[in-house]
Amino acid sequence: MQAKTFIRMSGLGGQGVVTAAHILGSAAVRSGLLSTVNPFFGAEKRLAPAESYVRISSQTIHERGEVLFPDIIMIFHPHVITLGKSYTMPFFDGLQKQGKIIINAPEPLPLNESERAQLAALNARLYYISATRLALEIAGTELSSNIAMLGALIAVTDLVSQQALEEALAERFGGTKKFVASGTTAALDDVLKSKFTKLAQLMDKNIALIEQAKSSIQEHVI
Amino acid sequence: MITQKIVDPDYLFFQSERSKMFITGSEAVSEAIKRANVDMAIAYPITPQSESMHLVGDLYAEGYLKDYFRGENEFSVMSAVAGAAMGGVRVFTATGGPGTMRAFEMFPTWAGARLPVVCAFFTRGVNSPLTIQPDTIEMAYMLDTGIMIFHAENAQDLYDMLLKAFVIAEQPEVHIPVGVFADGFFVTHTRDEVSTAPADLKLPAYDPYSSPVPVMDMNNVPLRQMRDPFVMKSNFISYAAHASWQQEVAAAAQRARRYIDHYLGGLVESENPGADIMIVASGTAVSQGRAAIIAAAGEGIDVGLLKIKCLRPFPTEEIKALTRHCKAIIVPEFNRIGWLAREIKAVVEDNSKVVDGPRVFGGMTMPTEMILESIRRCSA
Amino acid sequence: MKSDLWQISPGFEEVMPAEYRELVDNGPFGKKLGVADMGTFKELLEEHPLCAGCGLALSLRLTLIALPNPEDTIIVGATGCSSLAFPQVSVHNIHSLFGNQNAVATGLKRALSLRFPGQVKDVVVIAGDGATCDIGLEAVVHSWFRGEKLATIMLDNEAYANTGGQESGMSRIGTVLNMAPQGKKFSKVNFPEIAKAAGCAYVAVAEPSRPKRLEQAVRRAILVAREIGPAYVQLFTPCPTNYKFKPSETLSLIKKREQEGVFQTMEYLSPEAEAYIKQIEEAKR
Repeated sequence: MQAKTFIRMSGLGGQGVVTAAHILGSAAVRSGLLSTVNPFFGAEKRLAPAESYVRISSQTIHERGEVLFPDIIMIFHPHVITLGKSYTMPFFDGLQKQGKIIINAPEPLPLNESERAQLAALNARLYYISATRLALEIAGTELSSNIAMLGALIAVTDLVSQQALEEALAERFGGTKKFVASGTTAALDDVLKSKFTKLAQLMDKNIALIEQAKSSIQEHVI
Repeated sequence: MITQKIVDPDYLFFQSERSKMFITGSEAVSEAIKRANVDMAIAYPITPQSESMHLVGDLYAEGYLKDYFRGENEFSVMSAVAGAAMGGVRVFTATGGPGTMRAFEMFPTWAGARLPVVCAFFTRGVNSPLTIQPDTIEMAYMLDTGIMIFHAENAQDLYDMLLKAFVIAEQPEVHIPVGVFADGFFVTHTRDEVSTAPADLKLPAYDPYSSPVPVMDMNNVPLRQMRDPFVMKSNFISYAAHASWQQEVAAAAQRARRYIDHYLGGLVESENPGADIMIVASGTAVSQGRAAIIAAAGEGIDVGLLKIKCLRPFPTEEIKALTRHCKAIIVPEFNRIGWLAREIKAVVEDNSKVVDGPRVFGGMTMPTEMILESIRRCSA
Repeated sequence: MKSDLWQISPGFEEVMPAEYRELVDNGPFGKKLGVADMGTFKELLEEHPLCAGCGLALSLRLTLIALPNPEDTIIVGATGCSSLAFPQVSVHNIHSLFGNQNAVATGLKRALSLRFPGQVKDVVVIAGDGATCDIGLEAVVHSWFRGEKLATIMLDNEAYANTGGQESGMSRIGTVLNMAPQGKKFSKVNFPEIAKAAGCAYVAVAEPSRPKRLEQAVRRAILVAREIGPAYVQLFTPCPTNYKFKPSETLSLIKKREQEGVFQTMEYLSPEAEAYIKQIEEAKR
């Protein structure tokens, strides 16, 4: 992998955008890399725009705050693009050359001429995954869409191994210690846990979801 | 029942085994307080501080603290903290932005009453329309309240500075409050690696009778403060009492220097100190500066860094000495007014070489490129 | 308090002020004195710098005499006329700011409970009507909501007196005062009812023309606060300076108000407080 990979995740509040970033950062640290993770600095409200950022590197990471120039962009909900529910417009603003975009949508979204031209000029690679549908089908709750997105991510990058991701997931939901990204994510964690009768079930279903997501992601030629 | 072993501060800070945790700044607060042998904490929610005091509440529930409650607003919380400190216990709280402003009247009284309160401040903008975004403007207002001011660069600093703040604040010849500042969100909500001491160790308890002023417990003298109240009198004795006390509080901060040197390794820290261009910064701006220095090196430009860890007492001599040789001093800041640039200009011998900025405000992240631009202009 | 704490170290008797030596020789600590003993012992309040005829000064003096355990009482005050007298009071007392007294007292009481478990440490708040009803309302009422074990005593002179006679929430409707040039436009706040609703286990209104009744209210409040929960005492303390009557008429003004039916004393005890007070007072007999 390149020395530094900066990732921007955009979605709607309650989708687990912040949680996904924290799990990915933990997985990176478990893989012996360095990472910093932070959310967009706003009042988090469910269905309002939410953004989080992950930096992964083999060297010390000094930069703080929002990732303005991402190597990877993950879009957790079509409305980020179609309704402009985003803090960053257009959704690929700042994307670096050869950058990757992963979008959660049941079918490719209509991009206009200019958008396609800009993405082509960057040699960007665009992927789609129906993460919400997979989450509902396999984990039985759309709260797991973020896990499907992480599964999709590891299918098209070698940032972290699946094992590291699973360990980070177990740490997040399995431990007795509260994993705090923010007060509201802590509350949603409790909701998520209540959807699974047993913690083991939560883990098993989410691991199955990661597997399914890996094989379901599809590249869309720009 | 929690069992922790009391150890010498030097052992806890410098000799004990360290382990790495991948945690947010808010969690770093909790890890520090867990080892700080704090008696009481008082909380009030405000973004971006709330998570830290939730976690301190969890520590109370687990038995690490003896008392904890939510006050009714920041002014009352800071007042209750003062009452607790006057009653002789080690007490902690945290706030930020509008909370700092709401409580503001209390900070000079903490210093004046010689209370060794440790308070974390997570900076946030204070303008209208309302903002919850990071912005360090409140620090400008806090600089001359009489409290000592440390500024953490990241979660590691926050953990270290909080723990050490208790030890520095409680020295009998110091015994004034310490505000440990960290940039809201950039530190509080950022997950990063932090190395910590074992959780079964803690600082020695606070000794209330080490205070240079009487503890308000009716278990020590004097029972009467004065024969004639000078509070609202206009006479020479009154003026002299107030004037000498203000000087004494300021002197207490100066007497803290040797403890800050010992525990924090100095009021400042430098990187590549001989360079012609120096970045002088505190807080998150230091991290952005470090990234800019690496980028500048890639362009063949040699840049050094002076990180200010302690703003009160102010490292006047250190800044003078470390910037005397250089041609340009760049002061990146996360506020509109440039209070740090003002402070630097007031102490360097030739203040025409101080570059006023770059600055971002309103919550913006400072792109490394912005500092790099300033560097390029200075080297041209 | 350790019993020898107020003693003078040998060799220092000569240099200590006369009024302090009096306090050592003839003070109230550990003696369980009361208003019936006035004039026979050295009181906690050494003179006072307040106006002639000040109802507040007299009430403060009586309150200090009424403290059940002065040797283990810490007072939290607030800005106002009373803050001029407190530096001359011989128990530990705190004047922090204007309006934060119940918040300071909350922290102090909790700290002392941690440091002296099982020991008597009475924290008593004594502040004016402006400090209690106006600027400090939030802190006062929230300390009651939380059930803090504090006795809160309002010295009600129906105005901001120290700043020159401005209207307060406790001034009566129609009264012309500074900042109410056309007369106050809303009624005197019914603070005792607020105290009851906010959870005080003991509420009383008293006044200094009946020292015994005042003493009983203060004592009961402190005892209830020690064991049961928050307590509130409102003392009517007329201000001759700002209300422009003769200093000699302070007590007669209280009586006149009573006759006119616009002032009355009251006492409320929660059932728990009542049982507790009954038990203590019966044990004494």
